Amino acid sequence: MPNSRRDFIKALGIGALATTAFTAVPTTFTAHAADTSGYKALVCVFLFGGLDCHDLILPYDLPSYDQYARLRSPLLAQQGTARQRSSLLPLTPASDTVLQGRQVALPPEMPQLASLFRQNKAAIVGNVGPLVEPVTRANFESAAVRLPPRLFSHNDQQAVWQANQPEGAQYGWGGLFADAVLASGANAALPQFSTITTEDVGPFLTGRNAVPYRVSTAGSARVDFLEDYYEGVSGDRADLLRAVRDQMAARSYRGSHLLERDMAAAFSGGFETNEAYDIARQQGVSLPTSFPATPLGAQLRAVAETIGVRDRLLSSRQVFFVGLGGFDTHDAQARALPKLLSQIDGALGAFQTAMEALGLTRDVTLFTASDFGRTLAVNGDGTDHGWGGHQIVLGGAVKGGEIYGTLPPPVLGHDADSGGGRLIPSVAVDSYAAELGRWFGLSESELSSALPGLENFEPLPNRFI
Amino acid sequence: MPTQLTHPIITALLSAGFGVFMLTSGCSGGNALDDRNEPVSGPTPPPPPSPPSPPPAPAPMGAFATEAGTSRFLTQATFGPSLEDVSALTGTNASNWFLAELEKPASLHTPQLAAYRAMIDNPDADFPVLAVQSSTFSFWRNAIEGDDQLRQRMAFALSQILVVSNFGGELLSDIPEPVVSYQDILVEGAFGNYRDLLEEVTYSPAMGYYLTYMGNQKADPATGRMPDENYAREILQLFTVGVVALQSDGEPVLENGKAVELYDNRDVTGLARVFTGLDLDGLDRQRFPSVADAVDEWEGLEQALLKPMAINDSLHSSDAKRFLDCDIPTGTPTAESIDLALDCIMAHPNVGPFVSRQLIQRFTTSNPDPDYVQRVASAFDSGAYLLPEGGRVGDGRKGDLTATLAAILFDPDVRAEAALSGSQFGKIREPLLRFTHWARAFDADASRPEYGIELFDLSDPMSLAQHPYRARSVFNFYRPGYIAPGTVSGAAGLTVPELQIVNATSTPGYINFMTFWTFGGQSMIPIEELEAELADMGVPLNRAALERAFVPDYSDELALANDATLLVDHLDRLLVYDSMSEETKAAITTTLEVQPVYGPGESAALINRVSLAVLLVMTSPDYLVQR
Repeated sequence: MPNSRRDFIKALGIGALATTAFTAVPTTFTAHAADTSGYKALVCVFLFGGLDCHDLILPYDLPSYDQYARLRSPLLAQQGTARQRSSLLPLTPASDTVLQGRQVALPPEMPQLASLFRQNKAAIVGNVGPLVEPVTRANFESAAVRLPPRLFSHNDQQAVWQANQPEGAQYGWGGLFADAVLASGANAALPQFSTITTEDVGPFLTGRNAVPYRVSTAGSARVDFLEDYYEGVSGDRADLLRAVRDQMAARSYRGSHLLERDMAAAFSGGFETNEAYDIARQQGVSLPTSFPATPLGAQLRAVAETIGVRDRLLSSRQVFFVGLGGFDTHDAQARALPKLLSQIDGALGAFQTAMEALGLTRDVTLFTASDFGRTLAVNGDGTDHGWGGHQIVLGGAVKGGEIYGTLPPPVLGHDADSGGGRLIPSVAVDSYAAELGRWFGLSESELSSALPGLENFEPLPNRFI
Repeated sequence: MPTQLTHPIITALLSAGFGVFMLTSGCSGGNALDDRNEPVSGPTPPPPPSPPSPPPAPAPMGAFATEAGTSRFLTQATFGPSLEDVSALTGTNASNWFLAELEKPASLHTPQLAAYRAMIDNPDADFPVLAVQSSTFSFWRNAIEGDDQLRQRMAFALSQILVVSNFGGELLSDIPEPVVSYQDILVEGAFGNYRDLLEEVTYSPAMGYYLTYMGNQKADPATGRMPDENYAREILQLFTVGVVALQSDGEPVLENGKAVELYDNRDVTGLARVFTGLDLDGLDRQRFPSVADAVDEWEGLEQALLKPMAINDSLHSSDAKRFLDCDIPTGTPTAESIDLALDCIMAHPNVGPFVSRQLIQRFTTSNPDPDYVQRVASAFDSGAYLLPEGGRVGDGRKGDLTATLAAILFDPDVRAEAALSGSQFGKIREPLLRFTHWARAFDADASRPEYGIELFDLSDPMSLAQHPYRARSVFNFYRPGYIAPGTVSGAAGLTVPELQIVNATSTPGYINFMTFWTFGGQSMIPIEELEAELADMGVPLNRAALERAFVPDYSDELALANDATLLVDHLDRLLVYDSMSEETKAAITTTLEVQPVYGPGESAALINRVSLAVLLVMTSPDYLVQR
């Protein structure tokens, strides 16, 4: 019985699938072609709502901690021992370049991340955010510098992070990275698995050729009605179900209305891609790693399982997107945020274990992103929208156990404070993305094309990957 | 709710129904479907074939000139037309229908919550579903069965602009009072003025909690504490003016080719001072620093959540409040500050085009022509609209929602034949509206929505990716400015919000959801199983009502089902106002004919054919896009 479903998909023809969906992909190499040898995957963990960077990386040396504790006292008072200095998990980076004598720590909800940092598998990139050109406090206050559009606005800053433009943006850098490797011949047989998401992704995974494929955390979404057909029924029932499938996949639609054409394409493409994905997963091996039963755990498990069947999906380069909401902690931050940090820790830890089990730790790099950081100042029970924030990068290729970028001191009014402790970023999203893209295999010219703002920034002094 | 590949009920349906579906032709009796195919439990069996002949069409005039025209208008303006509505209204005066809708008494939500609360046997149950899901139940009942269709549809449209949500799993999910009373604010304000609605919304505990200004206090220079900026930002960005300057037709004002941003963070911090000093009426903040602490501890909580928030001027910022072109002087107390702020925001020229364009998207078309936006915005701004067949709506005040709604529905471009036959006009039917449409078209009984377990949560993409008052965030299910990457509409630069929830998970999710309902799935679950599941959740049982719940009446369709062509023509008229393409009709007809039926005695096969026909129509691109 299990084989009959597979046979059906084979009969459907995965090869035919590949040619129907992505006819526009050029396969010729250019002088600056991306390196597509071996396997590599990027995994974006997007923290929707704006992660409070000041509660992710905390000051640990006594003077800094005391300054922080004063400013954050309304929140700390609600957290019992959880934000007491003795509960924190200090980070000891290999170099003192960023901290210059200060010390920092992770919150106690993140023991696995602290351990991965110690094992040089994880790094922190401090104060990353959207920039058009370098910004100082002076030229920010005198409005003498070009700024990203619609700062501090959720939907717009999500889009700017993902696609360098506010809401309405079309192409994100994850999708453009995929375009580059597709153009160099990666994933030629099944290009629709180049960019995969488990969440409402926004523009991040969309390129001129790459289109995100949405998977559910439960595997591919099947059409219940056709279950018998997938299982290999024959005769009249098979005829009927084949006709129903073709109808549901809008095979007969010939109209010209743009929205109808989009819906026809969505239904048709959904069928074909789901069926191909489903067959690949049925043939694949299951992971030995157990993931936490959390939304992020389930999503990263789905990503790990998909990576586990990368050969079945004929994929050598993949960009994944997972997302977790709830970080817009204007209110009740002391209650809500620790649970989310704990969820991140558990899911990232399991993901790294899974990649090690697959022997892929050097081939898969996970990184975080978020709308923005938040104010250092408290609004009573929470914090408000900021700008720059701190990010986690994880994987065997990461130059771990180190802190990159900058970590401004926990006071108000310093040189990177745009007001209330909203950090003026020191690392542009473009620079952060460029490091990841270069590792993914893109050439310098491909990076410039995917990240047009990159030319406005000096290369990072130290590469994190 | 856990996501799983196949819901147990779907599994039950598959084993009970579809197996039969594949096997029944030419056989009779002895299977689950036939056993259940009694009048009380299954889709209604075919009556004697005597379809009433439609009356001769009246001379064409107005929106209700033809049956197709009436059906299309009601598709835009209600939760879905039935054949009875269409035949009763065709040939009448659409303007009069609109005016009559304005006069209908409002179906409210709060009394339904009170009734559900009274039905709960054990108030200490861990998951008192009757209370927790009350906002969902009363939504389905009002949407599907309410007589005040235009008002309910407008309230639903407004709920997608002035978003509160019980998605998050906190207070608004656990306690129904705030969202249910918010539903009534929108229902009662649906035909009122947008300025008044903003005020009700501002004082509502639902919004106060959702956008975190409930209990918000003035700045404290000693600690560096600042007023919460959440509501200040979103009331500007999402509820009134947006982020960039707009022309009167909703298009951005450009300077050197770039949009002009209306404000920066200084405006937001200025306006944030206005929304300080509001808190839940009677809440003791010494005892309950966080509202969540009061759950189960303060017996006045539910009642307080039904009332507007109370003012505490001592916690209100006495600083000057500057934002946009507004300047509220130092020392202005809370109520006056809010009044002045809302007046000042409402006076901004963006509000008309900004709100109008989004309302248009909820009723008629996703990417309205700027001229259309301008006409609607003009009605919003002038507060008046002259109906095509005579009669004036609106009281002449800026923000009048009846004038705005009339301008949306009666716009000459919307009613013109060119809109129906063009290649861009229209919108993807919202998934939720497809379901209400099905229920209304086939007279499925929604009087006991608590029996529809499958309807408890539709927010997952494996289901509909849309649930009433349960958006993922204040940004709604989809964004008004969404241009779908990688699509032909996106290549044409069209904003199509609903495409944001269309993907490879939600397309089979919708097909599975509709399969369940079109095949009368509720009636195919063994009744004892259903009763046991409901009893576990504390839902009082009434077997007769349970057997009727959400079961479609296909009697009109069964009378035609021997002839697949006639059946599909009928569904085209009923569901798609006679606008399905010949190709789609032919393809569905051919598919239906793969499974032969042998005469009127083969009731199970006929029911299966009708159910499949409805499913295939409702999953066709022709149906999925409302033109």
